[in-house]
Amino acid sequence: MISSDVIRGYNDTIILFFLLEGASYGYEISKNIKEKSEGKYIMKETTLYSAFNRLENNGYIESFYGDETFGKRRTYYRITPAGLAYYKEKCKEWEITKDVINRFIRSGM
Amino acid sequence: METIKNYLDNMFAGLPNTEQMKDLKHNMLSNMEDKYNELKASGKSENEAIGIVISEFGNIDELINELGIKKDTTTDNKPMISQSETDAYLTVKKTMGLQIGIGVFLCALAPAALILITKLQSDGLITGGLSEKAGSLLGLIPLFLLITIAVAIFIYSGMNFERYKYIEEGVNLPSSVEANLKRQHENYTQPYYLSVILGVCLLILSPIALFVTNLLNNDYSGYGVVVLLGIVAVAIFILIYFGTIRESYNRLLRLGDYSEKKQKENKVIGAVASIVWPLAVLIFLLTGFIYGYWHINWIIFPVTGILFGMFSAVYNILKGNEN
Repeated sequence: MISSDVIRGYNDTIILFFLLEGASYGYEISKNIKEKSEGKYIMKETTLYSAFNRLENNGYIESFYGDETFGKRRTYYRITPAGLAYYKEKCKEWEITKDVINRFIRSGM
Repeated sequence: METIKNYLDNMFAGLPNTEQMKDLKHNMLSNMEDKYNELKASGKSENEAIGIVISEFGNIDELINELGIKKDTTTDNKPMISQSETDAYLTVKKTMGLQIGIGVFLCALAPAALILITKLQSDGLITGGLSEKAGSLLGLIPLFLLITIAVAIFIYSGMNFERYKYIEEGVNLPSSVEANLKRQHENYTQPYYLSVILGVCLLILSPIALFVTNLLNNDYSGYGVVVLLGIVAVAIFILIYFGTIRESYNRLLRLGDYSEKKQKENKVIGAVASIVWPLAVLIFLLTGFIYGYWHINWIIFPVTGILFGMFSAVYNILKGNEN
């Protein structure tokens, strides 16, 4: 498990990553995060929904109600063009961050 | 599944009930249910599944900050306190209610002891060849003893509480703690009202003791006063004890006007008791020794008792209404 402090600045990026492939909903995204990170990162519910709120307010995602499945009305999210631009920007930022931090990391200690 | 729903209800209990919040709660619940069902399907036990879902909920304050929700009260610069601190505070307040209740109970009982001993002595039930004057002096011993014990209890209880004073100066509560407290407060409403009803009924009925003994024999009215004071003492104890517990919730949740000007009213009942009762004793002794009104001046105790009891009842009810 990773400390959520380290990853905080990239929660939005992680969520946008899954929306690149199409609209999704809360649980599917949190499950995908867990699977993709091989259980090393579990996003808490409150973190997930804080991020949805922030992304929507910034115009990076849009929410809509999906079809009712098994009597459940789910809120789906899809990425907007502004969200896509933001995602690309964050990817570049990460490349730089990774490069910088790596200079201070001595592996195999 | 109920557990998860209750957990979420508690988490959202302190937050405004807007459409946005309802939507958010609905989404989170559905998310948590999905997770729960999948955990169950993968072979986890009910308890394990619930444990995992709740442990992965996170911190509601993160959402509150993100949504920019202003909690009902403006609570800046106030310390944030934890569940264990509120629990400790509630326990201390409960003990304090018990102690002040007992103290006031003893104050109310003190004149009853005086009257009882004086009466027993004058009826010749306590023998020893004492004069009437010596008899009333004998009665003063338990009176002062009881009042001394009561004052000692007041001081001790006040000192014990010193450590928790900061809580009454205003604190911030984490939402989960606030939600818990609101539920406890809710649950306490009925016992509290019942205690007020019981206390007030006892006060109203207490003079019956006097009527009954008067009917039996005029000479017994002294014993009637003793019983009356005993009933009043019990009623006051009930009102103070339950009232203090109720008040501790109100203070934490800042229901009613628990601003700084009201802070001192906390000890109002105790303070009034420690003035009124010794004053009544003083008047009793003065009218007795100086004017020799021993046959009638005991009336001051039932009168004080009933007035004081009414004062505590009205005080508690008015405070209840402020909420």
